Amino acid sequence: MDHKAIAAKDVSFAYHQDGIRVLRDVSLDIPAQKITAILGPNGTGKTTLLHLMLGLLKPGSGEVLIFGKHHGAYSRREMSQIMGLVPQFESIPFNFTVLEYILLGRSPYLKPFQSPGKEDLQISEEALTSMGIVGLAGKPVSELSGGERQLVHLARVLAQRTKILLLDEPTAHLDLENQNRILNLLVGLAEQGITIVLTTHDPNVAIYAAENFVLVNEGRIFFEGDLDTVITPENLSTMYNVPIHVENADGHTMVVMDKNG
Amino acid sequence: MRKRSGKQVFIILGVGTLVILLGSVFLGRYPRPYWMPPRLLLEDELARRLVFSLRVPRLLTALLLGMTLSATGAVLQMVFRNPLVEPGFMGVTQGAAFGAALSILWLGKHPLVIELSATLFGLIGLFGSYFLSRRLRFGGWVLRLVLSGVAVSALFSAGVGILKYVADPLTQLPEITFWLLGGLWGVTWRNFWYVLPFALAGLLTMFLMRWRVNLLSLKDETAFSLGASTNRERMVLLFASVTATAALTSISGIIGWVGLIVPHIARRLVGASADTSIPVAMLLGGIFTMLSDDIARSLLAGEIPLGILTSAIGALLFMYLMISMGIKVRA
Repeated sequence: MDHKAIAAKDVSFAYHQDGIRVLRDVSLDIPAQKITAILGPNGTGKTTLLHLMLGLLKPGSGEVLIFGKHHGAYSRREMSQIMGLVPQFESIPFNFTVLEYILLGRSPYLKPFQSPGKEDLQISEEALTSMGIVGLAGKPVSELSGGERQLVHLARVLAQRTKILLLDEPTAHLDLENQNRILNLLVGLAEQGITIVLTTHDPNVAIYAAENFVLVNEGRIFFEGDLDTVITPENLSTMYNVPIHVENADGHTMVVMDKNG
Repeated sequence: MRKRSGKQVFIILGVGTLVILLGSVFLGRYPRPYWMPPRLLLEDELARRLVFSLRVPRLLTALLLGMTLSATGAVLQMVFRNPLVEPGFMGVTQGAAFGAALSILWLGKHPLVIELSATLFGLIGLFGSYFLSRRLRFGGWVLRLVLSGVAVSALFSAGVGILKYVADPLTQLPEITFWLLGGLWGVTWRNFWYVLPFALAGLLTMFLMRWRVNLLSLKDETAFSLGASTNRERMVLLFASVTATAALTSISGIIGWVGLIVPHIARRLVGASADTSIPVAMLLGGIFTMLSDDIARSLLAGEIPLGILTSAIGALLFMYLMISMGIKVRA
Protein backbone atom coordinates (compact mmCIF):
# COMPACT_ATOMS: atom_id res chain seq x y z
CA MET A 1 0.00 0.00 0.00
CA ASP A 2 1.14 3.50 -0.83
CA HIS A 3 2.25 5.19 2.37
CA LYS A 4 1.15 8.57 1.02
CA ALA A 5 -2.63 9.01 1.06
CA ILE A 6 -2.58 12.53 -0.37
CA ALA A 7 0.24 14.43 -2.01
CA ALA A 8 0.24 18.05 -3.12
CA LYS A 9 2.96 19.33 -5.44
CA ASP A 10 3.61 23.06 -5.97
CA VAL A 11 -0.09 23.87 -5.62
CA SER A 12 -1.19 27.46 -6.08
CA PHE A 13 -4.79 28.62 -5.90
CA ALA A 14 -6.78 31.84 -6.28
CA TYR A 15 -10.57 32.14 -6.00
CA HIS A 16 -10.74 34.66 -8.84
CA GLN A 17 -8.58 34.93 -11.89
CA ASP A 18 -5.89 37.56 -11.27
CA GLY A 19 -7.07 37.61 -7.65
CA ILE A 20 -4.93 37.18 -4.58
CA ARG A 21 -3.46 33.71 -4.38
CA VAL A 22 -4.82 32.02 -1.28
CA LEU A 23 -2.21 29.27 -1.53
CA ARG A 24 1.28 29.67 -2.97
CA ASP A 25 3.49 26.77 -4.09
CA VAL A 26 2.20 24.40 -1.46
CA SER A 27 3.79 20.95 -1.38
CA LEU A 28 2.96 18.39 1.28
CA ASP A 29 2.47 14.69 1.88
CA ILE A 30 -0.31 13.23 4.02
CA PRO A 31 0.85 9.87 5.42
CA ALA A 32 -1.72 7.06 5.29
CA GLN A 33 -3.38 5.71 8.45
CA LYS A 34 -2.23 8.59 10.63
CA ILE A 35 -3.72 11.82 11.88
CA THR A 36 -2.30 14.91 10.22
CA ALA A 37 -3.09 18.28 11.74
CA ILE A 38 -3.04 21.34 9.50
CA LEU A 39 -2.34 24.09 11.99
CA GLY A 40 -2.44 27.79 11.42
CA PRO A 41 -4.14 31.08 12.31
CA ASN A 42 -7.65 31.87 11.07
CA GLY A 43 -7.98 32.82 7.42
CA THR A 44 -4.71 31.34 6.15
CA GLY A 45 -6.07 28.93 3.58
CA LYS A 46 -6.59 25.78 5.68
CA THR A 47 -10.14 25.22 4.44
CA THR A 48 -9.06 25.98 0.87
CA LEU A 49 -6.39 23.32 1.22
CA LEU A 50 -8.98 20.76 2.38
CA HIS A 51 -11.27 21.64 -0.53
CA LEU A 52 -8.38 21.14 -2.95
CA MET A 53 -7.71 17.71 -1.45
CA LEU A 54 -11.40 16.88 -1.78
CA GLY A 55 -11.40 17.94 -5.43
CA LEU A 56 -14.11 20.54 -4.89
CA LEU A 57 -11.57 23.16 -6.00
CA LYS A 58 -9.02 22.66 -8.74
CA PRO A 59 -5.48 24.00 -8.31
CA GLY A 60 -4.50 26.94 -10.52
CA SER A 61 -1.11 25.32 -10.94
CA GLY A 62 0.53 22.22 -9.50
CA GLU A 63 -1.22 18.95 -8.78
CA VAL A 64 -2.99 17.00 -6.03
CA LEU A 65 -2.69 13.22 -5.98
CA ILE A 66 -4.92 10.81 -4.07
CA PHE A 67 -3.17 7.46 -3.52
CA GLY A 68 -0.86 8.44 -6.36
CA LYS A 69 -3.56 9.36 -8.89
CA HIS A 70 -5.22 12.61 -9.99
CA HIS A 71 -8.83 13.35 -9.06
CA GLY A 72 -9.67 12.97 -12.74
CA ALA A 73 -8.68 9.29 -12.59
CA TYR A 74 -11.59 8.61 -10.22
CA SER A 75 -15.31 8.97 -10.93
CA ARG A 76 -17.35 11.16 -8.55
CA ARG A 77 -18.77 7.98 -7.08
CA GLU A 78 -15.37 6.33 -6.55
CA MET A 79 -13.94 9.49 -5.03
CA SER A 80 -16.80 9.76 -2.54
CA GLN A 81 -16.15 6.15 -1.50
CA ILE A 82 -12.50 7.05 -0.77
CA MET A 83 -12.74 10.44 0.93
CA GLY A 84 -15.30 12.07 3.20
CA LEU A 85 -15.63 15.59 4.60
CA VAL A 86 -17.08 17.24 7.69
CA PRO A 87 -17.12 20.98 6.99
CA GLN A 88 -16.60 23.47 9.78
CA PHE A 89 -20.15 24.75 9.62
CA GLU A 90 -22.31 21.85 8.53
CA SER A 91 -25.80 23.22 8.01
CA ILE A 92 -28.86 20.98 7.98
CA PRO A 93 -31.70 23.32 7.05
CA PHE A 94 -34.48 20.73 7.28
CA ASN A 95 -35.28 18.92 10.45
CA PHE A 96 -34.16 15.37 9.63
CA THR A 97 -33.87 12.79 12.37
CA VAL A 98 -30.31 11.83 13.27
CA LEU A 99 -30.70 8.49 11.52
CA GLU A 100 -32.11 10.08 8.34
CA TYR A 101 -29.13 12.45 8.29
CA ILE A 102 -26.58 9.68 8.84
CA LEU A 103 -28.15 7.63 6.05
CA LEU A 104 -27.09 10.43 3.68
CA GLY A 105 -23.56 9.12 4.25
CA ARG A 106 -24.58 6.05 2.23
CA SER A 107 -25.23 7.99 -0.98
CA PRO A 108 -21.85 7.07 -2.57
CA TYR A 109 -23.07 3.46 -2.65
CA LEU A 110 -26.55 4.13 -4.08
CA LYS A 111 -27.71 4.44 -7.67
CA PRO A 112 -29.20 7.78 -8.81
CA PHE A 113 -32.84 6.76 -8.20
CA GLN A 114 -32.21 4.51 -5.20
CA SER A 115 -33.17 5.07 -1.58
CA PRO A 116 -31.08 3.47 1.19
CA GLY A 117 -31.93 -0.13 2.06
CA LYS A 118 -31.52 -2.55 4.95
CA GLU A 119 -27.75 -2.86 4.65
CA ASP A 120 -27.37 0.93 4.65
CA LEU A 121 -29.55 1.14 7.73
CA GLN A 122 -27.36 -1.43 9.46
CA ILE A 123 -24.11 0.40 8.55
CA SER A 124 -25.59 3.69 9.76
CA GLU A 125 -26.55 2.10 13.06
CA GLU A 126 -23.01 0.75 13.41
CA ALA A 127 -21.69 4.27 12.85
CA LEU A 128 -23.99 5.52 15.63
CA THR A 129 -22.72 2.77 17.91
CA SER A 130 -19.06 3.53 17.28
CA MET A 131 -19.68 7.19 18.11
CA GLY A 132 -21.55 6.11 21.24
CA ILE A 133 -24.78 7.88 20.30
CA VAL A 134 -27.25 5.08 19.52
CA GLY A 135 -29.80 6.80 21.75
CA LEU A 136 -29.92 9.81 19.44
CA ALA A 137 -31.09 7.89 16.35
CA GLY A 138 -34.69 9.13 16.34
CA LYS A 139 -34.00 12.62 17.63
CA PRO A 140 -34.53 15.61 15.31
CA VAL A 141 -31.20 17.28 14.47
CA SER A 142 -32.51 20.66 15.62
CA GLU A 143 -32.66 19.37 19.20
CA LEU A 144 -29.00 18.35 19.44
CA SER A 145 -26.41 20.12 21.58
CA GLY A 146 -23.18 21.36 19.99
CA GLY A 147 -21.21 18.31 21.13
CA GLU A 148 -23.89 15.84 20.01
CA ARG A 149 -24.09 17.62 16.68
CA GLN A 150 -20.39 17.10 15.96
CA LEU A 151 -20.64 13.41 16.93
CA VAL A 152 -23.56 13.09 14.53
CA HIS A 153 -21.55 14.72 11.71
CA LEU A 154 -18.74 12.25 12.36
CA ALA A 155 -21.17 9.33 12.37
CA ARG A 156 -22.45 10.49 8.97
CA VAL A 157 -18.94 10.50 7.52
CA LEU A 158 -18.20 7.11 9.16
CA ALA A 159 -21.27 5.62 7.48
CA GLN A 160 -19.62 6.71 4.25
CA ARG A 161 -16.90 4.06 4.96
CA THR A 162 -14.01 6.04 3.44
CA LYS A 163 -10.26 5.51 3.82
CA ILE A 164 -9.65 9.24 4.22
CA LEU A 165 -11.50 11.71 6.45
CA LEU A 166 -11.15 15.46 6.00
CA LEU A 167 -12.31 17.34 9.09
CA ASP A 168 -12.46 21.12 9.11
CA GLU A 169 -11.99 22.47 12.66
CA PRO A 170 -13.68 19.44 14.25
CA THR A 171 -13.29 20.74 17.80
CA ALA A 172 -13.92 24.46 17.38
CA HIS A 173 -16.91 25.59 19.47
CA LEU A 174 -16.75 22.52 21.71
CA ASP A 175 -16.12 22.49 25.45
CA LEU A 176 -13.17 20.55 26.85
CA GLU A 177 -15.10 17.38 27.63
CA ASN A 178 -16.50 17.18 24.11
CA GLN A 179 -13.15 18.10 22.55
CA ASN A 180 -11.57 15.25 24.46
CA ARG A 181 -14.27 12.82 23.42
CA ILE A 182 -14.03 13.70 19.74
CA LEU A 183 -10.22 13.63 19.67
CA ASN A 184 -10.08 10.22 21.39
CA LEU A 185 -12.56 8.85 18.87
CA LEU A 186 -10.38 10.18 16.05
CA VAL A 187 -7.27 8.56 17.51
CA GLY A 188 -9.21 5.29 17.66
CA LEU A 189 -10.21 5.61 14.01
CA ALA A 190 -6.61 6.21 12.94
CA GLU A 191 -5.61 3.05 14.83
CA GLN A 192 -8.17 1.19 12.73
CA GLY A 193 -6.31 2.35 9.63
CA ILE A 194 -8.20 5.47 8.58
CA THR A 195 -6.25 8.46 7.33
CA ILE A 196 -7.40 11.65 9.01
CA VAL A 197 -6.64 15.21 8.00
CA LEU A 198 -7.93 17.83 10.40
CA THR A 199 -7.50 21.57 10.45
CA THR A 200 -7.30 23.53 13.66
CA HIS A 201 -6.16 26.91 14.89
CA ASP A 202 -5.42 25.45 18.33
CA PRO A 203 -1.91 23.92 18.72
CA ASN A 204 -2.96 21.90 21.77
CA VAL A 205 -5.71 20.16 19.82
CA ALA A 206 -3.16 19.26 17.15
CA ILE A 207 -0.64 18.00 19.69
CA TYR A 208 -3.23 15.89 21.50
CA ALA A 209 -4.38 13.96 18.46
CA ALA A 210 -1.91 14.18 15.59
CA GLU A 211 1.31 12.43 14.67
CA ASN A 212 2.07 14.58 11.67
CA PHE A 213 1.96 18.38 11.61
CA VAL A 214 1.69 20.97 8.87
CA LEU A 215 2.02 24.63 9.82
CA VAL A 216 0.28 26.94 7.37
CA ASN A 217 0.39 30.68 7.35
CA GLU A 218 -0.50 33.25 4.70
CA GLY A 219 -1.01 30.59 2.09
CA ARG A 220 2.38 28.93 2.51
CA ILE A 221 3.57 25.85 4.32
CA PHE A 222 5.91 26.99 7.08
CA PHE A 223 6.94 23.66 8.51
CA GLU A 224 5.97 20.05 8.08
CA GLY A 225 6.92 16.96 10.07
CA ASP A 226 6.54 15.25 13.45
CA LEU A 227 5.99 16.77 16.87
CA ASP A 228 9.59 17.46 17.83
CA THR A 229 10.64 19.10 14.58
CA VAL A 230 7.54 21.22 14.04
CA ILE A 231 6.12 22.18 17.42
CA THR A 232 8.90 24.42 18.67
CA PRO A 233 8.59 27.83 20.38
CA GLU A 234 10.41 29.50 17.48
CA ASN A 235 8.14 28.02 14.79
CA LEU A 236 4.91 28.75 16.62
CA SER A 237 5.93 32.24 17.74
CA THR A 238 6.79 33.18 14.17
CA MET A 239 3.55 31.77 12.85
CA TYR A 240 1.08 33.15 15.36
CA ASN A 241 2.99 36.38 15.79
CA VAL A 242 2.84 36.20 19.61
CA PRO A 243 5.50 34.81 21.99
CA ILE A 244 4.73 31.14 22.64
CA HIS A 245 6.27 28.57 24.99
CA VAL A 246 6.26 24.83 24.50
CA GLU A 247 6.22 23.08 27.87
CA ASN A 248 6.59 19.47 28.86
CA ALA A 249 4.49 18.24 31.77
CA ASP A 250 4.15 14.57 32.76
CA GLY A 251 5.24 13.57 29.28
CA HIS A 252 2.60 15.74 27.60
CA THR A 253 3.63 18.55 25.34
CA MET A 254 1.66 21.75 25.84
CA VAL A 255 1.65 25.12 24.17
CA VAL A 256 1.21 28.22 26.34
CA MET A 257 1.17 31.89 25.53
CA ASP A 258 3.78 34.07 27.17
CA LYS A 259 1.85 36.46 29.38
CA ASN A 260 4.72 38.91 29.69
CA GLY A 261 5.39 38.90 25.98
CA MET B 1 -41.25 4.19 14.09
CA ARG B 2 -41.51 7.18 11.81
CA LYS B 3 -41.23 4.95 8.79
CA ARG B 4 -44.34 3.02 9.73
CA SER B 5 -46.37 6.11 10.41
CA GLY B 6 -45.16 7.40 7.02
CA LYS B 7 -46.56 4.30 5.39
CA GLN B 8 -49.87 4.68 7.20
CA VAL B 9 -50.18 8.32 6.17
CA PHE B 10 -49.41 7.29 2.63
CA ILE B 11 -52.13 4.63 2.55
CA ILE B 12 -54.72 6.95 4.10
CA LEU B 13 -53.90 9.70 1.61
CA GLY B 14 -53.87 7.29 -1.33
CA VAL B 15 -57.32 5.98 -0.46
CA GLY B 16 -58.47 9.55 0.25
CA THR B 17 -57.33 10.68 -3.17
CA LEU B 18 -59.31 7.93 -4.89
CA VAL B 19 -62.44 8.51 -2.81
CA ILE B 20 -62.38 12.25 -3.44
CA LEU B 21 -61.66 11.74 -7.13
CA LEU B 22 -64.68 9.43 -7.47
CA GLY B 23 -66.95 11.44 -5.18
CA SER B 24 -66.18 14.69 -6.95
CA VAL B 25 -67.55 13.28 -10.19
CA PHE B 26 -71.03 13.60 -8.67
CA LEU B 27 -70.50 17.02 -7.16
CA GLY B 28 -71.66 20.08 -9.06
CA ARG B 29 -74.75 22.00 -10.03
CA TYR B 30 -76.52 19.64 -12.38
CA PRO B 31 -79.32 18.70 -12.24
CA ARG B 32 -79.63 20.59 -8.96
CA PRO B 33 -76.96 22.11 -6.68
CA TYR B 34 -74.32 19.93 -5.01
CA TRP B 35 -75.14 16.28 -5.61
CA MET B 36 -75.99 14.27 -8.67
CA PRO B 37 -77.39 10.80 -7.97
CA PRO B 38 -75.08 8.26 -9.65
CA ARG B 39 -78.01 6.50 -11.37
CA LEU B 40 -78.39 9.57 -13.62
CA LEU B 41 -75.27 8.36 -15.41
CA LEU B 42 -77.34 5.50 -16.77
CA GLU B 43 -80.55 7.41 -17.37
CA ASP B 44 -79.61 10.91 -18.43
CA GLU B 45 -77.68 11.49 -21.65
CA LEU B 46 -76.84 15.09 -20.70
CA ALA B 47 -75.49 13.99 -17.30
CA ARG B 48 -73.30 11.42 -18.97
CA ARG B 49 -71.85 13.93 -21.41
CA LEU B 50 -71.36 16.48 -18.65
CA VAL B 51 -69.48 14.00 -16.49
CA PHE B 52 -67.33 12.38 -19.12
CA SER B 53 -66.41 15.33 -21.28
CA LEU B 54 -66.25 18.11 -18.65
CA ARG B 55 -66.02 16.92 -15.07
CA VAL B 56 -63.61 14.02 -15.47
CA PRO B 57 -60.91 15.89 -17.45
CA ARG B 58 -61.30 18.82 -15.09
CA LEU B 59 -60.91 16.65 -12.00
CA LEU B 60 -57.89 14.87 -13.40
CA THR B 61 -56.32 18.22 -14.27
CA ALA B 62 -56.99 19.49 -10.73
CA LEU B 63 -55.29 16.37 -9.36
CA LEU B 64 -52.23 16.83 -11.61
CA LEU B 65 -52.11 20.54 -10.82
CA GLY B 66 -52.13 20.01 -7.06
CA MET B 67 -49.59 17.21 -7.20
CA THR B 68 -47.25 19.21 -9.42
CA LEU B 69 -47.46 22.50 -7.52
CA SER B 70 -46.88 20.79 -4.17
CA ALA B 71 -44.04 18.58 -5.30
CA THR B 72 -42.40 21.52 -7.07
CA GLY B 73 -42.77 23.60 -3.91
CA ALA B 74 -41.18 20.84 -1.83
CA VAL B 75 -38.30 20.43 -4.29
CA LEU B 76 -37.65 24.17 -4.57
CA GLN B 77 -37.71 24.58 -0.78
CA MET B 78 -35.16 21.83 -0.25
CA VAL B 79 -32.91 22.46 -3.24
CA PHE B 80 -32.69 26.17 -2.40
CA ARG B 81 -32.41 25.33 1.33
CA ASN B 82 -35.21 27.78 1.95
CA PRO B 83 -38.56 26.85 3.51
CA LEU B 84 -40.20 30.04 2.24
CA VAL B 85 -40.05 29.51 -1.49
CA GLU B 86 -42.74 28.21 -3.79
CA PRO B 87 -43.25 28.47 -7.55
CA GLY B 88 -45.27 31.67 -7.03
CA PHE B 89 -42.51 33.33 -5.03
CA MET B 90 -39.75 32.37 -7.40
CA GLY B 91 -40.96 34.10 -10.53
CA VAL B 92 -42.13 30.81 -12.06
CA THR B 93 -45.88 31.36 -11.91
CA GLN B 94 -45.75 35.02 -12.88
CA GLY B 95 -43.31 34.24 -15.67
CA ALA B 96 -45.55 31.48 -16.95
CA ALA B 97 -48.54 33.85 -16.72
CA PHE B 98 -46.70 36.42 -18.79
CA GLY B 99 -45.75 33.79 -21.36
CA ALA B 100 -49.31 32.54 -21.61
CA ALA B 101 -50.81 36.03 -21.89
CA LEU B 102 -48.27 36.89 -24.57
CA SER B 103 -49.34 33.81 -26.42
CA ILE B 104 -53.07 34.55 -26.12
CA LEU B 105 -52.42 38.02 -27.55
CA TRP B 106 -49.98 37.44 -30.34
CA LEU B 107 -48.54 34.02 -30.72
CA GLY B 108 -51.74 32.07 -31.17
CA LYS B 109 -54.23 30.36 -28.92
CA HIS B 110 -53.27 26.80 -29.67
CA PRO B 111 -52.92 25.08 -26.28
CA LEU B 112 -49.49 23.75 -27.14
CA VAL B 113 -48.19 27.20 -28.12
CA ILE B 114 -49.55 28.71 -24.90
CA GLU B 115 -47.97 25.89 -22.94
CA LEU B 116 -44.53 26.23 -24.50
CA SER B 117 -44.54 30.00 -24.15
CA ALA B 118 -45.56 29.66 -20.49
CA THR B 119 -42.81 27.11 -19.86
CA LEU B 120 -40.14 29.25 -21.48
CA PHE B 121 -41.02 32.32 -19.41
CA GLY B 122 -41.48 30.24 -16.26
CA LEU B 123 -37.89 29.02 -16.63
CA ILE B 124 -36.69 32.57 -17.32
CA GLY B 125 -38.47 33.65 -14.11
CA LEU B 126 -36.83 30.93 -12.02
CA PHE B 127 -33.31 31.45 -13.28
CA GLY B 128 -33.76 35.23 -13.20
CA SER B 129 -34.66 35.06 -9.50
CA TYR B 130 -31.84 32.64 -8.78
CA PHE B 131 -29.08 34.63 -10.47
CA LEU B 132 -30.36 37.91 -9.06
CA SER B 133 -30.21 36.48 -5.54
CA ARG B 134 -26.63 35.33 -6.12
CA ARG B 135 -25.66 38.90 -6.92
CA LEU B 136 -27.28 40.53 -3.89
CA ARG B 137 -24.65 41.59 -1.39
CA PHE B 138 -26.70 41.75 1.79
CA GLY B 139 -28.95 39.60 3.93
CA GLY B 140 -29.08 35.85 4.47
CA TRP B 141 -29.82 33.36 1.73
CA VAL B 142 -33.49 33.01 2.68
CA LEU B 143 -34.08 36.74 2.51
CA ARG B 144 -32.13 37.27 -0.72
CA LEU B 145 -33.98 34.55 -2.57
CA VAL B 146 -37.40 35.76 -1.44
CA LEU B 147 -36.55 39.38 -2.33
CA SER B 148 -35.27 38.40 -5.76
CA GLY B 149 -38.33 36.26 -6.41
CA VAL B 150 -40.62 39.14 -5.40
CA ALA B 151 -38.75 41.55 -7.70
CA VAL B 152 -38.76 39.22 -10.70
CA SER B 153 -42.42 38.35 -10.13
CA ALA B 154 -43.28 42.05 -9.95
CA LEU B 155 -41.49 42.64 -13.23
CA PHE B 156 -43.52 39.92 -14.91
CA SER B 157 -46.80 41.13 -13.41
CA ALA B 158 -45.98 44.59 -14.77
CA GLY B 159 -45.45 42.89 -18.13
CA VAL B 160 -48.82 41.19 -17.80
CA GLY B 161 -50.32 44.59 -16.93
CA ILE B 162 -48.94 46.05 -20.15
CA LEU B 163 -50.33 43.12 -22.13
CA LYS B 164 -53.76 43.64 -20.56
CA TYR B 165 -53.57 47.34 -21.38
CA VAL B 166 -52.95 46.73 -25.06
CA ALA B 167 -55.34 43.78 -25.31
CA ASP B 168 -58.62 44.18 -27.16
CA PRO B 169 -61.07 45.02 -24.34
CA LEU B 170 -63.94 43.12 -25.94
CA THR B 171 -62.31 39.87 -26.96
CA GLN B 172 -58.85 39.39 -25.46
CA LEU B 173 -58.99 41.27 -22.17
CA PRO B 174 -61.78 39.23 -20.51
CA GLU B 175 -60.05 36.06 -21.55
CA ILE B 176 -56.69 37.11 -20.05
CA THR B 177 -58.30 38.50 -16.89
CA PHE B 178 -60.35 35.41 -16.12
CA TRP B 179 -57.43 33.20 -16.95
CA LEU B 180 -55.19 35.16 -14.55
CA LEU B 181 -57.63 34.76 -11.68
CA GLY B 182 -56.93 31.08 -11.94
CA GLY B 183 -59.46 28.38 -12.66
CA LEU B 184 -60.13 25.17 -14.46
CA TRP B 185 -63.51 25.94 -16.04
CA GLY B 186 -62.31 25.76 -19.61
CA VAL B 187 -60.49 22.44 -19.30
CA THR B 188 -61.21 19.88 -21.98
CA TRP B 189 -59.75 16.49 -22.76
CA ARG B 190 -57.59 18.17 -25.36
CA ASN B 191 -55.99 20.45 -22.69
CA PHE B 192 -55.53 17.51 -20.41
CA TRP B 193 -53.75 15.39 -22.99
CA TYR B 194 -51.43 18.26 -23.89
CA VAL B 195 -50.21 18.82 -20.32
CA LEU B 196 -50.20 15.18 -19.26
CA PRO B 197 -46.74 14.25 -20.66
CA PHE B 198 -45.09 17.36 -19.14
CA ALA B 199 -46.76 16.81 -15.78
CA LEU B 200 -45.96 13.10 -15.68
CA ALA B 201 -42.33 13.66 -16.71
CA GLY B 202 -41.93 16.26 -13.96
CA LEU B 203 -43.71 14.23 -11.29
CA LEU B 204 -41.83 11.07 -12.17
CA THR B 205 -38.45 12.84 -12.09
CA MET B 206 -39.22 14.37 -8.69
CA PHE B 207 -40.51 11.06 -7.35
CA LEU B 208 -37.51 9.05 -8.52
CA MET B 209 -34.95 11.58 -7.34
CA ARG B 210 -36.70 12.24 -4.02
CA TRP B 211 -33.99 10.81 -1.80
CA ARG B 212 -31.31 12.78 -3.66
CA VAL B 213 -33.26 15.93 -2.77
CA ASN B 214 -32.22 15.38 0.86
CA LEU B 215 -28.61 15.33 -0.26
CA LEU B 216 -29.03 18.54 -2.27
CA SER B 217 -30.42 20.33 0.80
CA LEU B 218 -26.99 20.08 2.46
CA LYS B 219 -24.16 22.53 1.84
CA ASP B 220 -22.54 22.21 -1.58
CA GLU B 221 -19.25 20.92 -0.22
CA THR B 222 -20.97 18.22 1.83
CA ALA B 223 -23.18 17.11 -1.06
CA PHE B 224 -20.08 17.09 -3.30
CA SER B 225 -18.11 15.01 -0.80
CA LEU B 226 -21.01 12.53 -0.80
CA GLY B 227 -20.64 12.05 -4.54
CA ALA B 228 -23.41 14.33 -5.80
CA SER B 229 -22.94 16.31 -9.00
CA THR B 230 -24.71 19.20 -7.30
CA ASN B 231 -25.19 21.57 -10.21
CA ARG B 232 -26.26 18.94 -12.69
CA GLU B 233 -28.70 17.24 -10.33
CA ARG B 234 -30.23 20.58 -9.31
CA MET B 235 -30.67 21.56 -12.96
CA VAL B 236 -32.39 18.27 -13.81
CA LEU B 237 -34.81 18.68 -10.89
CA LEU B 238 -35.51 22.36 -11.53
CA PHE B 239 -36.02 21.87 -15.25
CA ALA B 240 -38.40 18.95 -14.77
CA SER B 241 -40.44 20.58 -12.00
CA VAL B 242 -40.68 24.03 -13.55
CA THR B 243 -41.63 22.64 -16.97
CA ALA B 244 -44.47 20.69 -15.37
CA THR B 245 -45.61 23.66 -13.28
CA ALA B 246 -45.54 26.07 -16.21
CA ALA B 247 -47.40 23.66 -18.48
CA LEU B 248 -50.20 23.34 -15.92
CA THR B 249 -50.19 27.06 -15.22
CA SER B 250 -50.82 27.63 -18.93
CA ILE B 251 -54.27 26.06 -18.55
CA SER B 252 -55.06 26.85 -14.92
CA GLY B 253 -53.83 30.43 -14.60
CA ILE B 254 -52.23 31.55 -11.36
CA ILE B 255 -52.93 29.14 -8.50
CA GLY B 256 -51.06 30.45 -5.47
CA TRP B 257 -50.05 29.12 -2.05
CA VAL B 258 -50.55 25.41 -2.74
CA GLY B 259 -46.82 24.96 -3.40
CA LEU B 260 -45.86 26.78 -0.22
CA ILE B 261 -48.27 25.40 2.30
CA VAL B 262 -48.66 21.75 1.30
CA PRO B 263 -44.96 20.78 1.68
CA HIS B 264 -44.97 22.27 5.19
CA ILE B 265 -47.98 20.17 6.18
CA ALA B 266 -46.40 17.09 4.58
CA ARG B 267 -43.17 17.54 6.55
CA ARG B 268 -45.20 17.99 9.68
CA LEU B 269 -47.05 14.74 9.06
CA VAL B 270 -44.16 12.43 8.15
CA GLY B 271 -40.94 14.30 8.96
CA ALA B 272 -38.50 16.26 6.85
CA SER B 273 -36.94 13.49 4.78
CA ALA B 274 -37.91 14.04 1.15
CA ASP B 275 -38.02 10.27 0.75
CA THR B 276 -41.48 10.32 2.35
CA SER B 277 -42.39 14.02 2.42
CA ILE B 278 -42.37 14.50 -1.38
CA PRO B 279 -44.80 11.62 -2.16
CA VAL B 280 -47.01 12.75 0.74
CA ALA B 281 -46.92 16.34 -0.52
CA MET B 282 -47.99 15.10 -3.97
CA LEU B 283 -51.07 13.31 -2.60
CA LEU B 284 -51.97 16.09 -0.17
CA GLY B 285 -51.64 18.68 -2.93
CA GLY B 286 -53.88 16.64 -5.21
CA ILE B 287 -56.53 16.34 -2.50
CA PHE B 288 -56.29 20.01 -1.56
CA THR B 289 -56.68 21.20 -5.14
CA MET B 290 -59.50 18.78 -6.02
CA LEU B 291 -61.46 19.85 -2.94
CA SER B 292 -60.81 23.53 -3.64
CA ASP B 293 -61.97 23.07 -7.20
CA ASP B 294 -65.09 21.23 -5.98
CA ILE B 295 -65.95 24.27 -3.88
CA ALA B 296 -65.04 26.62 -6.74
CA ARG B 297 -67.49 25.01 -9.16
CA SER B 298 -70.28 23.89 -6.83
CA LEU B 299 -70.72 26.39 -4.02
CA LEU B 300 -72.32 29.27 -5.92
CA ALA B 301 -74.34 29.48 -9.09
CA GLY B 302 -71.42 31.32 -10.66
CA GLU B 303 -67.96 29.84 -10.54
CA ILE B 304 -65.50 31.13 -7.92
CA PRO B 305 -62.00 31.44 -9.42
CA LEU B 306 -59.87 28.62 -8.03
CA GLY B 307 -56.84 30.88 -7.54
CA ILE B 308 -58.82 33.10 -5.17
CA LEU B 309 -59.90 30.08 -3.12
CA THR B 310 -56.48 28.48 -2.83
CA SER B 311 -54.94 31.82 -1.86
CA ALA B 312 -57.55 32.42 0.82
CA ILE B 313 -57.35 28.92 2.30
CA GLY B 314 -53.57 28.74 1.88
CA ALA B 315 -52.93 32.10 3.52
CA LEU B 316 -55.16 31.20 6.49
CA LEU B 317 -53.35 27.88 6.93
CA PHE B 318 -50.02 29.67 6.65
CA MET B 319 -51.01 32.06 9.43
CA TYR B 320 -52.05 29.13 11.57
CA LEU B 321 -48.77 27.26 10.94
CA MET B 322 -46.72 30.38 11.68
CA ILE B 323 -48.47 30.92 14.99
CA SER B 324 -48.27 27.26 15.98
CA MET B 325 -44.54 27.12 15.05
CA GLY B 326 -45.12 24.67 12.22
CA ILE B 327 -42.88 26.83 10.08
CA LYS B 328 -39.35 27.48 11.22
CA VAL B 329 -37.02 29.68 9.30
CA ARG B 330 -33.41 30.24 10.13
CA ALA B 331 -32.44 33.23 8.03
